[in-house]
Amino acid sequence: MNELHDKIAVTGLAAISSAGVGTDSLREALQDGNCRLQPMPEEILGEKGHFWGRAEGFKASDYMPPLKARKFDRCSLFAVVAAGMALKDAGIDPAQMDPSRIGILLGCGFGGIANSEEFLRGYFTKGADGLIPMLFPNTVPNAPASNASIEHGLKGPNVTMVQRFCSAESALLMACRFLEEGRADVMVTGGVDELNPLMMRGFKAAGQLRHYGRGFSEGSGMLVLEKSGYARQRGAAIRAEVGNIRTIGRLVKGAEDEGASRLLGVAADHSLLSLSGFASEFGMFLERAPSLPRLETDRILGCSLAMGGLSMAALVLSLLPGQRALHLAASPEGPYFAVDFNGGSSV
Amino acid sequence: MKKKKIAITGLGIFCAAGKNVASFTESLLSGKCAIGDVDLFPVSDFQAKIAAQVREYDPLDYFGRKNAAGLSRADQFGVIAAGEALKDSSALGHYSPYDIGVSLGAGAAGMLQAESWLRETMAGGKGRPTLLRGILPDRTATAISEIYNLGGYQGSITTACSSSATAIGWGADLIASGRLKAAVCGGTDALSLLTFAGFNSLRVVDVEPCAPFSLGRRGISLGEGSAFFVLEDEAEAKGRGARIYGYVLGYAAAGEAYHMTAPEPSGVEAARVMTGALRDANVPLTAVGWVNAHGTATPLNDVVETKAMKLVFGDRVREVPLVSTKALTGHCLGAAGAIEAMATVIALNAGIIPQTLNFRGADPECDLEYCHAGKIDTPAVVALSNSFAFGGNITSLVLGI
Repeated sequence: MNELHDKIAVTGLAAISSAGVGTDSLREALQDGNCRLQPMPEEILGEKGHFWGRAEGFKASDYMPPLKARKFDRCSLFAVVAAGMALKDAGIDPAQMDPSRIGILLGCGFGGIANSEEFLRGYFTKGADGLIPMLFPNTVPNAPASNASIEHGLKGPNVTMVQRFCSAESALLMACRFLEEGRADVMVTGGVDELNPLMMRGFKAAGQLRHYGRGFSEGSGMLVLEKSGYARQRGAAIRAEVGNIRTIGRLVKGAEDEGASRLLGVAADHSLLSLSGFASEFGMFLERAPSLPRLETDRILGCSLAMGGLSMAALVLSLLPGQRALHLAASPEGPYFAVDFNGGSSV
Repeated sequence: MKKKKIAITGLGIFCAAGKNVASFTESLLSGKCAIGDVDLFPVSDFQAKIAAQVREYDPLDYFGRKNAAGLSRADQFGVIAAGEALKDSSALGHYSPYDIGVSLGAGAAGMLQAESWLRETMAGGKGRPTLLRGILPDRTATAISEIYNLGGYQGSITTACSSSATAIGWGADLIASGRLKAAVCGGTDALSLLTFAGFNSLRVVDVEPCAPFSLGRRGISLGEGSAFFVLEDEAEAKGRGARIYGYVLGYAAAGEAYHMTAPEPSGVEAARVMTGALRDANVPLTAVGWVNAHGTATPLNDVVETKAMKLVFGDRVREVPLVSTKALTGHCLGAAGAIEAMATVIALNAGIIPQTLNFRGADPECDLEYCHAGKIDTPAVVALSNSFAFGGNITSLVLGI
């Protein structure tokens, strides 16, 4: 069994990306289809021709006083702001709920890496005298979700996951399960990532720009989830419902067909295919999926390990009421996720 | 529908206190502290210079040259411990590879190697790209899946010091929910300059081996290593004649939403996650024989955890020892929850409550039974294992035999 049974509703969305801040800018980018990546400054890699998707439209000072913003790393800033936007979009004021019933579960690829670099540079430059203690707490990948939980008072389940280009889908699976089990009434989920010059130099050194050189990006895509019954009870608009979630860790040599069958399940009447991570490069999955209109968010916004958050937010924004879609996420070496979404409507 | 009972059918561990289950068990039962000198990187700059480092370790004793080069120290520890657990369980071959998955808890991962890359580039060099291979914490799960030919779920939890406790709870649920038939669950982490310097900069590291719940304790001693369990549905495990070491009865994970580094001081949030885990396990308070503490030995953590115990167990609190095995293993960060769960399961099977080592004197604010005087015999069949982390990510596991 590789499926989820209880209906889980998406009732709120948030997006911070190279297209701008907010779901309107994401919707606009999806409609015009123009790539939002920008040329990367030449001095970063010492060569021309690279593109990246920085969230240049994001200004922390638009959301909090500068002194407060200074205590967060960039990834945490995205998470704090996006979680607030998503909850507001869902019509949820955490202060009016039992805080232990609202949780947060994020995929995060390189959260904390910028603080780690700065902290270590201080040490390598000046020894122990160069260490800046306030940087250290935000070197952990769970800093974004934790900072968001602290800022918004979310005391429910709080987990951060990273699993290659399926980090956000990994978070979605756990968030849905927590709702199904009754561990929470509301879960904020999705992905968050940042991008900085050090990471680009690291990607280049590790050969990632050759292999995955479509343009790395940053930002956050978040979804507010709750059981459909709970959402209806509180009169929330249901933007979509999450259907079955199927996943395999990798394709086993000699049993690839079994893996693909387990991932894709039985054919359903999908009319839209969302591709995230490197799903567009997995011919054996695409052959099995029906020939459907494709939504490839990364071609517009760029890619990151937790890009599934933005991809799923984009998919929900694109769904018509009642429309069924398949979200397919893949990482080159695994894992792979297939998630059914059904378009919802206001109640 | 009756909830599946999740059995532990394989054990594997690799840390400073033991490079396999047999040697770790000997250290645990004899109370042999593994905290000592560090030679992985220079430590002379720091006030505290000790940790529980895995010593006398040559990757080529476990891996071919190519595999060793492609795996970080944390990845290697994880692959070794997971391998021991899988071999112990004999689960491989019994299920389809797609029915066996990996639930990993991780921490600093390959930071030790990435630090060398950063240092090389700061010195004007190009930086050897192989040093970056293990920088992402999920690499260990991928390596375990590839090396042992597993095709099921892969997921890595990165909530600092509670990562691997949550990974075990989640791994059990992946079986309970029917997604997997068997789960390889645990955690891995390696010492790094980042964490060593980081905790030193926060002044929460003791210059002597850590002394949980003792008067005059000054903080943690870092450690490294890995521990993994193989979990299966009890009925399936019994059906194939597997040895059952115990059960993952339940868990809870929550956010304190209080502070990035300081625990909520009244202990009410820690108590909430402990009672939540017991509720999930459907285990009454009276069934809990002892608690394997988060027990970092920082002045604040130990007092808060003591308060949480009082909130959870009430009048019965002095009958439920709170012990910390971190004085044995060091604080293994991303692997801590798994290593402590391993100690808990081994101790339950041995019928003992482990000693909290390195006692320096009684702290009036820590006024419970911590087994400072030595291990004690117990008929207990259920214990809690707590893991509290930066960011207020707190997890409690309920383990039984």
